[in-house]
Order: sequence, then C-alpha cells, then structure tokens
Amino acid sequence: MTTGPVQVLVVGFDEPSFSGQVMAELERLREAGVVRLVDVLLVRRDEDGSFETLPAPPGSPPGSGTLAADILGAGSAADPDEAGWSLADAVEPGGIAAVALLEHTWATQLVDAIGAAGGRSLGEGWLAAEDRARIPAG
Amino acid sequence: MRHGGPVVVLVPRQLRMTGMTGDVPYYGGRFTPAQAYAASHRRPTAPAPRPAPAPPAPSPASTPQREPHETAGTLDALAHLRDSGVLSSAEYDELRARVQ
Repeated sequence: MTTGPVQVLVVGFDEPSFSGQVMAELERLREAGVVRLVDVLLVRRDEDGSFETLPAPPGSPPGSGTLAADILGAGSAADPDEAGWSLADAVEPGGIAAVALLEHTWATQLVDAIGAAGGRSLGEGWLAAEDRARIPAG
Repeated sequence: MRHGGPVVVLVPRQLRMTGMTGDVPYYGGRFTPAQAYAASHRRPTAPAPRPAPAPPAPSPASTPQREPHETAGTLDALAHLRDSGVLSSAEYDELRARVQ
C-alpha cells in the first residue's frame, strides 16, 4: 500500500532502455526515503496506434511491469467519451517509452499537513528551465 | 526491433489524474483555471466567463437570477464544447445540470 502521491512519469526513448544508472539513482532515492519506484513498464506503440509491452529493464525484479500494466492498461478503446489521461496521450505511434510509477514518499507528511490546515490544491506544475535559472542555488 | 521476452498487447485505460496535493480543478488540462472556476461556480450577479465563443448574454449587475437568454447562451457554449470534443457527454450533462 502506498502512502505518498504517486507520479506517472513517461519517458520516451529511441531504443528500449531504462539504464542501470537510472535504476541506481532510484534505489538511492528509495534508501533516502525520497522516492520509491513502485513499478516500471516499457511499452512500444505501433504505427497503427496499438500498444504492446516490452521486456522489463535489466536488473528489474521478477514481475516488473505487471502492476503498471494493470493500472495503465485494461482500457476500452471503444469509448471516446471517457474522460481522463491515457498513455495514448503521451506516446506517439512508433514511439517507445518507459513508464514509471514513482511514489513521492517525501511528500506524505506535507500533503497531510496541507490537508490538516484546510488547504486545497488550485494548481501544480514544474518551473521551466529558464525560470529555474533565476533561482539562486540553495 | 523485437525482443525475446513476451510481448503483451496493452489497451491504455483512461486515468483520472490528480495533483500531488489533491484534485486540481482542471478538466484534464483542457480548461484554464478561470474556465474551470466559471464552470463550477454560479455567479448570479454577473455573467460568468465563457469557456468558448458564444453569443454575449450580459445581464444587469443587480439581477439576482440568470436571465433565460443567458442560460441559453451558456447551454449553447457547453454544446459547442461538447461538439468540438472538449467536453465528454458526461461532463456536458453534469455542467448542464448546474446551469439549468
């Protein structure tokens, strides 16, 4: 069971990859209690628009990708009225992507504190590089 | 490019996305904050911001209730959003119920 917000991170690649370096960094973050990689799934979108899963990245534990496929898949392509976001919004036909479910364990207490204070989310986003450059280094 | 492992067809599911600190009142990023606010708040003393071009239907600032022609204009705007694919049928029905 997760405790923190879970981010869906979709990263495109020219070749199926989620390198050992990325996995090592995620492991470091997990040990630090910052981020936990819940699951990672490699997918390819064919030119006809259909998706298929690819073998898990090297070093992944057995069963990797199963949970992510369960959460992201099992949809119905026949309901265009269904609202929301799907992988089809992110991966172009012919594309390959790694889809990671990242639990932001660091945020658990912050989210709880915001809720306890009666705060409600009005907007979220990430600053672009040009605006990050205006922030003095901490 | 094929790999030796098993390949499974995946049919993407529509997910309801939320922000880290809770539900952000956007409709999947298709509304601006102002449009989302207008869609979820009735403003009896002034015309609400329109999410799409529609015939203007201003009402007097002292009028406490929506004028019939204002409601019609809002419904036309909602129908336009639905027809142009911005709103789903379910979202259209929900917003229409708030207007009427």
